[in-house]
Amino acid sequence: MAGATREELVQRVFEILRDDLLRAGPDFTPRSNLVAAGLDSLAVTQLMLATEESTGVWVDDSLLTPENLESAESLASLVHRQLQGS
Amino acid sequence: MTSAAGSHASLPLTGADCFLRAFDHEIRRMNGASHVSQLVLRLGPGFDANGFRRVVEEAARAHPLLRAPVARRLGLGPPVFRLAAATRCPMPRVEIHEAEAPRAADPPLPEVFFSRLNQPLSLRRGELLRFDVVRYAGGAAGTDLAASWLHMLLDGAGSERFVRWLDECFRGQRRLADPLDPDLGAAERSPKPSFGERGRAARAWQDWHDAMGARPPHSLAGPLRRTPQALRYRVHSLSAEETARVVETARSRAGFLTPMLFYLAAAMRAHHAVFQARGIDPGSYVVPLPVNLRPKGEEGAIFRTHVSLIWFQAFPEQMNDFDGLVASLKAQRVAAIRARQIENGVHAMDFARFAPRRLYAHMARRALGGELCSFFFAFTDAFLPGLASFFGARIVDGFHVPPVPPSPGSCVALSLRDQRLNLTHVFQRGVLSERELAIFQERLRADLLG
Repeated sequence: MAGATREELVQRVFEILRDDLLRAGPDFTPRSNLVAAGLDSLAVTQLMLATEESTGVWVDDSLLTPENLESAESLASLVHRQLQGS
Repeated sequence: MTSAAGSHASLPLTGADCFLRAFDHEIRRMNGASHVSQLVLRLGPGFDANGFRRVVEEAARAHPLLRAPVARRLGLGPPVFRLAAATRCPMPRVEIHEAEAPRAADPPLPEVFFSRLNQPLSLRRGELLRFDVVRYAGGAAGTDLAASWLHMLLDGAGSERFVRWLDECFRGQRRLADPLDPDLGAAERSPKPSFGERGRAARAWQDWHDAMGARPPHSLAGPLRRTPQALRYRVHSLSAEETARVVETARSRAGFLTPMLFYLAAAMRAHHAVFQARGIDPGSYVVPLPVNLRPKGEEGAIFRTHVSLIWFQAFPEQMNDFDGLVASLKAQRVAAIRARQIENGVHAMDFARFAPRRLYAHMARRALGGELCSFFFAFTDAFLPGLASFFGARIVDGFHVPPVPPSPGSCVALSLRDQRLNLTHVFQRGVLSERELAIFQERLRADLLG
């Protein structure tokens, strides 16, 4: 997914969260609040590792701010920006 | 729980339970106590002591796990909670102690709370849990409550869920007889990797741990003490203003998601200050950090221990550079997760189901020169968030007291309650002199407050 679009990344991040990392209900969407959905530091690191596997980009801890962790969308946007900058 | 309890005669201990059981056994054998953890609530006036006693009794009737003996099947198989035998065991004790109204605004904790950490509980008689309630002026001047339990029945996160559930039953929001932990035992029934894969994963975790023995740690207590367990603890509460500052500093220096590494670094440096005052080389600092394994996004289990461990190691030469130390801990954490050491730890602890207790404790200490670790550490974040009262009384404060064997003899636990950071320092009597305690606390406070 090195050349993935933002939309593709949103979908990928959303799927990893929904299927592997969070026990989220059917109302969980790419815009759902991640902390409210149970996201913690371990899940974020696992997500970043999965993202790195897909894209080759490692997102530094310092960029994992509350704003960037707001939703799967905002997190994917961060990864996309990193991907474009790499 | 007791959909499972109702339909099963026994429930297996988790691997983590068995891991802790090995150390419980060691403490019993060498120090005459048990591996007991505590949750403390400091309450305002209005606590309904009779209501509390009633709810605990009814809970124990409805959920036999609360008083189930722990034993191996036929003395050989993996250890289990013997649910079918629970009705022959006594109810969890609720002892009410009366005391005069305290003179100080922030009274010292009752002596009985400390002594409970140093008394053995009988596994065979299902003594897994007890409560001590200290009422000041008949409760009119407030109440202190300690839940003391064997660290197999509950872990820290489970203990918070448990007291919250008791209060919800008291208020009629839940029914005592409703099943708890409906997936109890599901982990044991779920498909597992092959035996060979689990063996390799466990080996990887053990190798990782053993590699730290290249520069083994020294705890403040020294390895394997035969002295009777005599734990005490001190709780330091920072003000709301100080806490806001500390929380912000922790986030900015260790990251929004991993402030615990800032606190861990501060705890390492506090221990280092004592070693320096003694003029002793600590070797290295090796510290396990519990990782909660409950599924993210739902409440998860109340009972039994659901953690894995990741290990951190730092060296004396790193102690003068706080930010460098935090960076090293952050890198170690990511490397451990990348190497799947959290999952490997689960498999390693699973083997403790079958290993003799003494062998497992011996294996754990062998690689580290007889030590288990340098000290224990826990950061549990918000303590009972959203729960303002307990059995009719306002929760003024609350915190965890993790168990500590006489060696390493020291533990730092941190949690947040009502915008205040509580630092609980648990230590074996005689391990730290008053002067060393002052050095420890001064260093810790100075690091936290920057």
